[in-house]
Amino acid sequence: MNNKIPNFVKTNQFGLLILVIVFICIFSFSTDGFTSRFNIYALSRVVALDIMIGLAMMVVILTGGLNLSLGALGVSAAMFGGWCMESMGIPISITIILVLAFGSFLGWINGFVTVRTGVHSFIVTLATMSIYFGFMTLLTEAEAFRKLPEAFTDFGSLKLFNKYISPLLIISVLTCFVLYYIFKYTDIGRKLIAAGANPDAAELSGISVDRMFIYCHMLSGFLAALAGIMLTARIGAAIPSMAGHLGFDWLLPAFLAPVLGGTLLSGGKVTVFGTMLGAILVTLINNGLYLIDVGEFWVRFFLGIILLGAVLLDRAREYFTVKNSIVS
Amino acid sequence: MSDYILELNNITKNFPGVKALDNANFTLKKKSIHALLGENGAGKSTLIKIITGVYNQNEGKLFLNNQEKSFSSPNEAMNAGISVVHQERNLIRRFSVGENLMLTNLPKNNLGLIDYNTVAKESKKWLDIMELDIDPNTIVSDLTVAKMQLCEIAKALSLESKILLLDEPTSSLSPQDTKNLFALLKRLVAEQDVSIVFVSHKLEEVFEICDEVTVLRDGKNACESEQITNLNRQKLVKLMIGRDEQIIKSKKNIDFADESLLDLQSINTDLGHKNINLNLKKGEILGLYGLVGAGRTELIKCVLGLDKINSGQILLNNKEIKIKSPKDALEKYKIGYISEDRKKEGLILMHDVLSNAGITVWSNLKKILSFLNDSIVYNKVDPYVKQLEVKTPSYQQIVSNLSGGNQQKISVAKWLASGTDILFIDEPTVGIDIKTKSYLHELIIELSLKGTSIILITSDMPEMISLADRIITMKDFKVVGETINNHNYEEMSSSIMGNIHE
Repeated sequence: MNNKIPNFVKTNQFGLLILVIVFICIFSFSTDGFTSRFNIYALSRVVALDIMIGLAMMVVILTGGLNLSLGALGVSAAMFGGWCMESMGIPISITIILVLAFGSFLGWINGFVTVRTGVHSFIVTLATMSIYFGFMTLLTEAEAFRKLPEAFTDFGSLKLFNKYISPLLIISVLTCFVLYYIFKYTDIGRKLIAAGANPDAAELSGISVDRMFIYCHMLSGFLAALAGIMLTARIGAAIPSMAGHLGFDWLLPAFLAPVLGGTLLSGGKVTVFGTMLGAILVTLINNGLYLIDVGEFWVRFFLGIILLGAVLLDRAREYFTVKNSIVS
Repeated sequence: MSDYILELNNITKNFPGVKALDNANFTLKKKSIHALLGENGAGKSTLIKIITGVYNQNEGKLFLNNQEKSFSSPNEAMNAGISVVHQERNLIRRFSVGENLMLTNLPKNNLGLIDYNTVAKESKKWLDIMELDIDPNTIVSDLTVAKMQLCEIAKALSLESKILLLDEPTSSLSPQDTKNLFALLKRLVAEQDVSIVFVSHKLEEVFEICDEVTVLRDGKNACESEQITNLNRQKLVKLMIGRDEQIIKSKKNIDFADESLLDLQSINTDLGHKNINLNLKKGEILGLYGLVGAGRTELIKCVLGLDKINSGQILLNNKEIKIKSPKDALEKYKIGYISEDRKKEGLILMHDVLSNAGITVWSNLKKILSFLNDSIVYNKVDPYVKQLEVKTPSYQQIVSNLSGGNQQKISVAKWLASGTDILFIDEPTVGIDIKTKSYLHELIIELSLKGTSIILITSDMPEMISLADRIITMKDFKVVGETINNHNYEEMSSSIMGNIHE
């Protein structure tokens, strides 16, 4: 990123990196099997998904909004993909394109309604969460698609790099690089960030803020659909409940990764690699706690505490920005 | 000695890397109006914050009624009778006037609930003292800006304040409201035993109302409790900026019979503009004068497509155009708008200098696949940022960390970079120090000489008369007058005010 080490040290990402290393050390010494090939492979499959979900939330947090329909949207897109492949016999590559387009379309609905009504995306996506999930359950009759093409499911269980890493992780990391490029090196990325930071100023500077917000929601839908496909490949079937009821299971990691990573909840600042590190940290803690065998409820308890801590950090960041401006 | 209600002796205040105040003195006589002047960054706000207990001085002493005091919080200062009326309103807009006035000490009835009758009665008392005809049950957001300002003063009085600090109290008031405010202040000083510290950038007002002047420059006293009668405008400006002021006048020969570049014909808008006709010639600075609420900024926003135009035509070079959005205005018609509210609408405060200065040119600069990096933007905006002498440690500096003057320069620079043919400039120098102000004036004239056509909105009459070629007066969302500017202040201002008060 930057050659000047002192600058990098000051960033949020550096703190996260240290935390990740610390947790790896703790779990390596305190548990059996944390560094085993099996566990690392399992971790890589989980973290791949958490990164993708985190990115999908991040691009909407950028607008100062959020996307509660993330899980429901991702599962709906995945079920659509399952139907394409199993019932319609559409080739895998075309199915993937259709699924991503479908996810973007559902994201477009979120964005369009949010922009046109002026209602906060919290309410809009709360509604669409229920609508997407309800509609999906109705159409699929809550039945899974379990006879997917072998080439597709094989990809999900492929093991690379001496059988340590899942190819799903590579997709997620590549996605990070693409997003980083978009936000850093394109006209459109800069406009997305500007619109999120101060919609009034951006509009008066000749940026179509409504369109930018819709793009953010579409991108979120796209990434959630990608996460849906990855999850389908991982478990070898498209199951309506694979992200929990209404897709709730995705929400906690979705918020944790970007907020830990340094994305401002009020919008206007994204950190792609911070989100990646945030997702890694969450997965690590999750996995380590399971290995220590503290029990499911404690894991949830800790993740909740971490989210609260991350939100406090978010407030601190905002306070710091304000304080800076007062002193000058 | 006993004449003084407030005395600050040899105050020094250090911030990391900066000496904001350096042995500064300030004395306030009982029952006087004392002007505190200085450029942005001279230490005025720091001094006020020390008086009001927000900061503590590193060295020096503060005496209130000849007793040494040290306030550890704004609350303590308030209890000691010192109140500030800020530029930004401190009223709760959804509460009634009465609730706002009594907020810190709301009367309760036997059940422990708020006793609204007493609230109304008590607050009415203070409104009466100020001869303000406002029903205490009015919701604050229904008041005019001027009345809100007066309610703030009433609130300060209701706290039994003996020292009132007024920070730029007239920046959003019309000349008439300003006059009323001044009459009131004089009465308060005479009848209510109140002493006033008056902070303003408008020197005309200082001469009109103040008894004594203290000027700060770079944290030191440039003068201390000087009688206003010993000073004139030139002397005062010299004290503030350390050199003589340059008077700028735009002198151009515009043939007003020429074809218009931009022509608004019988425009009626959703916001209530009635039958607006105005035209802008090439290279002209067209002034739009009016009181706050006359509909000037609103008209510009309608032209930019932010609010709906119901009927009428906009012609650009005699061709009818429809502007759908500011994006449309910028990209299709090369029209830009420098907002009056740089913090909310002009800049993205949390972003750095480079992205703020470059925001209008990204679309033009992008390469294939929308590629754009920092150095492409830098090469484009750097000449303009340099030309405007923006003082910033680097292009990566966050804009909120810059001074107000430099922020304003950046919100101008981005429109220079965009190379528009027509610029709408809205209140370009509000809250800006004299040096930057005259710099921006020169720049606006230079731009118009190079062929940019400008519609200038300002409520600062001297600014309007020194810059504009022609002045359109608006009132209640209508055009009420048009005058070719002869740059004679007396004649022009009386003609314009005549238009407004007809």
